[in-house]
Amino acid sequence: MENYRLGFDVGGTFTDGVLVQGSEVIAKSKSLTTEDVTTGIINVLDIILNKSKINPADIGMVSFGTTHTTNAIIERKNLNRVGIFRLGAPATTAIPPLTGWPEDLKEAIGGDQNVCILRGGSEYDGRDIVPLDEKSIMDACKEIKGKIDSIAITGVFSPMKTDHEDRAADIVRDILGEDVHITLSNKIASISILERENSTILNASVINVMRRAVKALKDAAKKRGIVAPLFIVQNDGSVMSADYAVDYPIFTVASGPAASVRGSVFLSRIKNGVVVDIGGTSTDVAYIVNGFPRESSITVNIGGVKTNIRCPDLLSIALGGGTIIKNKGKEVMELGPESVGHNLVRLGRSFGGPILTTHDIAVATGIIKEKLAIFETDFVTHKEKIDKLPKELVQNAYDKIKMTIELAIDQMKTTPEPIPAVFIGGGAMVVPSVDIKGTSEVVKPEHFEVGGAVGTTIAEIGAYAEGVVDLEIEKREIAIDNVIEKAKDNLESAGGVRNTAEVIDVEEIPFAYMPGKREKIRIRVKGKAFIGGDR
Amino acid sequence: MGVYDILKEWGVESYRVIDERAIKEITLGASILATGGGGDPEIGLLWAKRVLAEGKDIVMVDPMDVPDDILAASPACLGSALVLTEKPPSREVLNTAIDALQNYMKKKFEATIPLECGGVNSILAYAAAAEYGVPVIDVDGMNRAFPELQMTSWATLGIHASPTVSADNRKSVTIIDTKDNDLVAETISRGVAMAYGGISWIATYAMSGKELKETSILNSQSIAWDVGKAVFRAREKHECPIEELLKTLKEARNLQGYKVFEGKIVDIRRDFGSESSKGFTLGKVIIEGINRYKGSIAELDFQNEWLIVKVDGVIKCLPPDLIAILDRETGEPIRTDIMKYGYRGSIIVMPAHERMRTPKGIEMFGPRYFGYDADYVPVEELNK
Repeated sequence: MENYRLGFDVGGTFTDGVLVQGSEVIAKSKSLTTEDVTTGIINVLDIILNKSKINPADIGMVSFGTTHTTNAIIERKNLNRVGIFRLGAPATTAIPPLTGWPEDLKEAIGGDQNVCILRGGSEYDGRDIVPLDEKSIMDACKEIKGKIDSIAITGVFSPMKTDHEDRAADIVRDILGEDVHITLSNKIASISILERENSTILNASVINVMRRAVKALKDAAKKRGIVAPLFIVQNDGSVMSADYAVDYPIFTVASGPAASVRGSVFLSRIKNGVVVDIGGTSTDVAYIVNGFPRESSITVNIGGVKTNIRCPDLLSIALGGGTIIKNKGKEVMELGPESVGHNLVRLGRSFGGPILTTHDIAVATGIIKEKLAIFETDFVTHKEKIDKLPKELVQNAYDKIKMTIELAIDQMKTTPEPIPAVFIGGGAMVVPSVDIKGTSEVVKPEHFEVGGAVGTTIAEIGAYAEGVVDLEIEKREIAIDNVIEKAKDNLESAGGVRNTAEVIDVEEIPFAYMPGKREKIRIRVKGKAFIGGDR
Repeated sequence: MGVYDILKEWGVESYRVIDERAIKEITLGASILATGGGGDPEIGLLWAKRVLAEGKDIVMVDPMDVPDDILAASPACLGSALVLTEKPPSREVLNTAIDALQNYMKKKFEATIPLECGGVNSILAYAAAAEYGVPVIDVDGMNRAFPELQMTSWATLGIHASPTVSADNRKSVTIIDTKDNDLVAETISRGVAMAYGGISWIATYAMSGKELKETSILNSQSIAWDVGKAVFRAREKHECPIEELLKTLKEARNLQGYKVFEGKIVDIRRDFGSESSKGFTLGKVIIEGINRYKGSIAELDFQNEWLIVKVDGVIKCLPPDLIAILDRETGEPIRTDIMKYGYRGSIIVMPAHERMRTPKGIEMFGPRYFGYDADYVPVEELNK
């Protein structure tokens, strides 16, 4: 018998939980999200265990899509004081670390006084800019001792050559001991030092937040007799072991939309296409490439700081189940952007309220015909109000909603051929899904309303690596193979099984403005999560 | 002597003090005019912000107010845009280059002039001006970005890049003095940048006030500023940044730009090939139409900057006229070094400045210089 897998997805209003066996959803539930996040998860966990009556010892894997780190950064709460070491002088001093940060966030991590720009770092071809200044690192450590909880180390060109960062970490550990957590930038993000440094500092700032969350979830699981390993969803939709996540909490900031994409793939079996995740207020459109979300290539803003961590490429539009439809007689003037949100059951026409919403049009056109078990309220309580709506208005609104979705899908597509679309999320049952332009089919899979939670239960680990090569010296195939091996190393440390590794993306980026045939190779791999047994 | 003493000495009463908001607008505008190149504007922006935070003033002066006999020079960076994003400069490196050029020429500079419109090189001239307590002049050498050092209105009109000083963060200094041979100056400068680790910091194109008035693209910084302001204005009003930009160019500068396409990148063909010895990234991008351009295909060639754009096989813009691919919602330019599969944008084309369209200019950076078997046709005629 295959093991059970438990998955949780924390949203703004609801925390969703599912119990999955093989590809079957055994139990699902929603519970209000709590301020500390952890309590909400534990609440759903208990509902699911009670409902399903399974033996907790039979659970093989527990995974979470959490908002712990995002909340901490946005609210500037419970952040670590971070010692910031940059290895790059005499270069880079024109723009010191923390330039452009919001003052309150800067303050919350200990401010400018723990910043040091030290001599070191590499050139793009692996030469030292200057030799690493070890004495300055020792002096800096002594200076900040007791004033910081964690350290972020960022060296110039460290994603290509890690030796200066590694050596600096050894020195820091010698002087400050094991209690001070160290984040190395080469483990966090790629070329583009300011954004990578920001990502590294943010990571160092939420170490304790993640440590506490993982400990609380582990304790809760243990108390309930669950012996399975814990996993956390990362931004690309794959999972990492909770112990690994403790060192890399920044990789969880966009786990929600990523989990939705993975859930869509899992539930619909569609590996290339578009995912339309419809909520109450907004809709996220993402693109699935080989079962994973397509990555965004622009800088990602987290809490007011520019970073270059990997996040899904999303198009968000103001359309959801509660979106307000403004009309003048039979004409639809505007769709949203406002939404009645969770007040739909009070304010929507279907419930006797005064406001016309997407939901009401779905009731009028018969898109929604029955109550969904997971929601407490029926889909319509005042049918007569809906029957009174002018037919033309309903048709116009329907057309407008459909066109809005079609436009969003079209903008995300990169091929002229029709592609399959997966509609998920609580709002998926109230939007048009027939004859959607640009799509070959629209799939609304079973359990679409908890798609994100299902997405967390997929036992696949993602990892990546990159390297710089000179194709005049090295053969392209050999260079690519070397980077693949590096990506597999990273897969293993994230909790994956090495011999299940599969290459999902090879990207080559040439260096502009430079003679020769130098380029950056970037590899993404995925593999099975290690959940017991042999590696 | 500070910047205001210099202005007093020149008898200049009207000038503009560039604050943080202005820096943001100019940086964005310059990045749009950079024709797909110009490097990561973040570096220029943060540098200028730091200079302002230190209480130094950035003061811009109209070229016509500059005395004939003063000396100005252009501080810039030259090399790989990708290396720059990973290895920003030291605080002192531009000073190293400028000081070395002053020593070599045995003269002091009283103003800086931006080399080109780009997210990095425009703003460097501003930051250096503030560091030295001199004004930055409202001009540049092309009103766009170009890949090579000699591709300036200055060079077409007999003002040479030599002497150029190239410096690095370790205080290495190389003096390149090739007299009137600007092509050799370009070749040596690029080799030096490689030896330094991919990027170099230069002081170049020293010229008198008289020369800068006669050979520069006048008020090019103001044009970049207008463009940046237009886009910010559109963003604040939630209007289309591209329409606002084109309207502003027409109304404020009588420049007729055209939106020629809207689509998403479906293929990027980068080509190392035989051009590897030249030291540039060459390639082609295929963009597929969306909205009213559905069913059409746009093709763009690039050599660091965009060179040429065709829509369904018909040429819409040739160098030295300007091409920009802008994000449809934000108006943010999509650069050749960061463009990616799936990017959505509008293509706009704009006329180059008249000083770039002279017969000498067309010879030095027109279609045939870049290897196209085509005569230059102005963008206004291609889009009639």
